[in-house]
Amino acid sequence: MNFLWDGVKQAADLLTSGDPDTFEVVGITLRMALWSTFFALALGLPLGLALGLGRFRGRRPALAVANAGMGLPPVVVGLVVALLLFRGSALGDLNLLYTLNGVILAQTLLALPLVVAFTAASVQSLPEMLIDQARALGASRIQVGALALREARVGVLAATIAALGSAFAEVGAVVLVGGNIEGETQTLASAVLVRVSAGEYGRAIALGTILLGLILLLAAVLTFAQQHERRPLLGRPS
Amino acid sequence: MSDALLCARRLSVARAGVEVVRQVDLRIHAGEVVALLGPNGAGKSTLLATLAGLLPAAAGELELGGRVATALQGPSLARRSACANVEAALQWWGVPRGERRDRALAALDAMGARELAERPARTLSGGEARRVHLARVLALDAELLLLDEPFAGLDAPTRADLLYDAASTLRASRRATLVVVHDRVEAWALADRVAVMLDGRIAAEGAPAEIFGSPPTPEVAVFVGFAGRLEEPGAVRLVRPQDVALDGDGPLRGRVTRLVPVEDGVRVELALDDGRVVALAPAPGPELGTEVSLRLAGGVRFPR
Repeated sequence: MNFLWDGVKQAADLLTSGDPDTFEVVGITLRMALWSTFFALALGLPLGLALGLGRFRGRRPALAVANAGMGLPPVVVGLVVALLLFRGSALGDLNLLYTLNGVILAQTLLALPLVVAFTAASVQSLPEMLIDQARALGASRIQVGALALREARVGVLAATIAALGSAFAEVGAVVLVGGNIEGETQTLASAVLVRVSAGEYGRAIALGTILLGLILLLAAVLTFAQQHERRPLLGRPS
Repeated sequence: MSDALLCARRLSVARAGVEVVRQVDLRIHAGEVVALLGPNGAGKSTLLATLAGLLPAAAGELELGGRVATALQGPSLARRSACANVEAALQWWGVPRGERRDRALAALDAMGARELAERPARTLSGGEARRVHLARVLALDAELLLLDEPFAGLDAPTRADLLYDAASTLRASRRATLVVVHDRVEAWALADRVAVMLDGRIAAEGAPAEIFGSPPTPEVAVFVGFAGRLEEPGAVRLVRPQDVALDGDGPLRGRVTRLVPVEDGVRVELALDDGRVVALAPAPGPELGTEVSLRLAGGVRFPR
């Protein structure tokens, strides 16, 4: 237990002393997590809306694929992306292997199914009449989509939290695609792995504590946004 | 299409492969309010959804002479204020941002819901939500207005208030309106013309007095309240409760088979030699099982 407490104190020291290496890895982690979540939302929200509200052939199989995608093994995704990014491979000309952009690409692919599946489930649970009524009042497809996302914002924010959480926690794809290069592609999670491998447990716990703090902070902000309008269903005065 | 704002010709609609609206012909002109009346499952809401463009027609033609705004059965308000709900509809309709607030407040005012403007939709009662729902569709000022049971699920006083407010608001404008209603009171209050829908077809169409006073077929007569049936030579006579008078000097005799208390007396069901009729009598009414004299003062006859 003292070991853990020492790690927490070391984390505080690293942050308060302005340790440049620590701030660099925090910066890389935030860039990777925020950009990959942004891209996953940009692609996943329209796809989730289409799967949740659309009526077209192949919708159910596509939903099944999105749901299955939530369980994608990151190592496998990282391996496939790395192979595609090798020089001479299909995406080799993009020169993304061992770059932060390559890591963002891999993490976007991992977060995308989360956003699609959560969004589709959220908008599917909206009352059908709400959507039909908007259409009956002249709403375009984009306006109906915007209404659905707004009404299903609890689920959409849950998707965002899940996407961010997976980005912060990701190690396998980061290491395989990014190479875990310090100062370039190394994130907090992959840095913890390196420190543990090197036997620097105190530093590993410190970085892990910072990582946990970041996750808690962002999750708290998003959860507040998600829940501030919700009224309690239990314990309400009649 | 002449001057009709809505013209449906032999329109059929299927749900899950089953035809639920069958070869409907319907025209509505500017300034007209038409009530679509029918029992549950007659196809009214399906027809309305097709006219609104929410469901495809399986066959037939539909011509519209303007934009259609539809209020579906449930209020279905979004999680925002009442006024913001109306403003959102105005945005969907293409109304410039600068005009939305004033038009939304005017529509809420017209429906007696001005004081609800800033209330979150989720805090509104059923009647309040319906007022906002109607204000939302009226604010659009569409050429053609379709309303699906706008008073469903309300308690009697709320329903009456809203009905009379809606009646004056709908009549005040020069639009064509089709309103699906569930009972005759609503049709009387709202409509210039009534269309009765039975089993997916328009079974009767005309002025309320004509449809409710002289229904064209026995099926329509039974639906609009001709609850009594008497066999006559070569014909069947259908009568409403108000056509039957319990009268000691009446020429007919009937046995009381059921008594049901109603708001203004007792509903008396009577068995006659040639059929059954229903009468209304002051409480407490005749004894159950006794024989009473009665007189018929109306009804409609249909040849057999």
